Amino acid sequence: MAVVPVKIEKEGKWVVSKIDLQQESMTVADPVGKAIPFKSVVDLEEKKSLLIITLKGDPPQVLRIASVEKVLQAMKRLIIMSCSAYRLTAYFMSPAVRGGVMVTNATWEKGAIAVLKTSIWFVSQNKQVSVPLKDVTGIELTKREVQGKQVDVVKIDHLENSDVVTSYVLCPLSTLQILLNFLQDATKDLETSGEELDPLSAQVGMLIYSGMDSHAIENMLNISHKNLDEIYEKLLKIGLIEVVFVRKEVQLTPKGVRFITEAVKPPT
Amino acid sequence: MGRILIVDDTLFMRTLLKNILFSGGHDIVGEAGDGDEAIAKYQELKPDLVTMDVVMPKVNGIEALKGIKSFDPNAKVVMCTAVGQEQMVKLAIKSGAKGYIVKPFQAPKVLEEIKNVLGS
Repeated sequence: MAVVPVKIEKEGKWVVSKIDLQQESMTVADPVGKAIPFKSVVDLEEKKSLLIITLKGDPPQVLRIASVEKVLQAMKRLIIMSCSAYRLTAYFMSPAVRGGVMVTNATWEKGAIAVLKTSIWFVSQNKQVSVPLKDVTGIELTKREVQGKQVDVVKIDHLENSDVVTSYVLCPLSTLQILLNFLQDATKDLETSGEELDPLSAQVGMLIYSGMDSHAIENMLNISHKNLDEIYEKLLKIGLIEVVFVRKEVQLTPKGVRFITEAVKPPT
Repeated sequence: MGRILIVDDTLFMRTLLKNILFSGGHDIVGEAGDGDEAIAKYQELKPDLVTMDVVMPKVNGIEALKGIKSFDPNAKVVMCTAVGQEQMVKLAIKSGAKGYIVKPFQAPKVLEEIKNVLGS
């Protein structure tokens, strides 16, 4: 079908090679020399201009391949369409909402959804979107208006470069239900049912979501540093937040006061 | 940077939006807690942009949007609503809204949207 240039990791070093891409498999040329049927691929991850391909086996073999975007796109599409995954034909819209702002030019794209070991892939003729399962923040069966009719869709909220993004999947209800169950099972560690927050803690959570820092939260809610710390502890305990860094609050020592006083005196 | 009127029936959301918009260099010229007050404040203050909650007591956000648009067809109004009420989008866009924000939202994206609408 096509022979494409790549760099592939071999024994910890990047080597220049070529890959012969076929519909159902690919062959990596020397010095790697390996034929890979796409059916043997059990996982596919994307990191910038790098594809990480996991092959069936005990232990599983991992290939790291780098190339230009156009080549990786072609490779991703072929792998996703034939690899070992739960796959369905569907319409998807991604992103529909980014950071709470509606994407006004978002459209439904016809393609395939593939659920792999560590990520969900949306693949159409022109677009490939990868959502790592660890970044999925919510899954819901809901309704959305499509061509004037209310239809069932699966709504997937996920993180993308720190932005909270909403994507939708549209297909027959029975298939949506299977997809929903599959995703709920794959992300069950993130379930929050049974955890209830008091109104103040919920407001703190909302402000963190919006990007406010501790100082802004204290000012907005008119609470003390101690109160906020207690709420943080509660949120930390149930795994809703993580510590990014600890900021120091300081005051000047007598030496510091003297230094600053001297520093601001006009020169004599 | 723009002169902005914030309309929301909850003090918490108004304060949050005020903080976000202020951090983006915008001037908050007024606040309103319902649709009636929003229309009156728009006529009085003539802001560059309005952020408008959809679900409010008395006159809701869509009606207030229509009221503002009938007074000033060029008014720039960004609607703001909770998750699950996205079906209001079409109605709001049809009524002349320039943008749509879904709660909860992230500050940088809100500022980006406001900048886009102000520049449109």
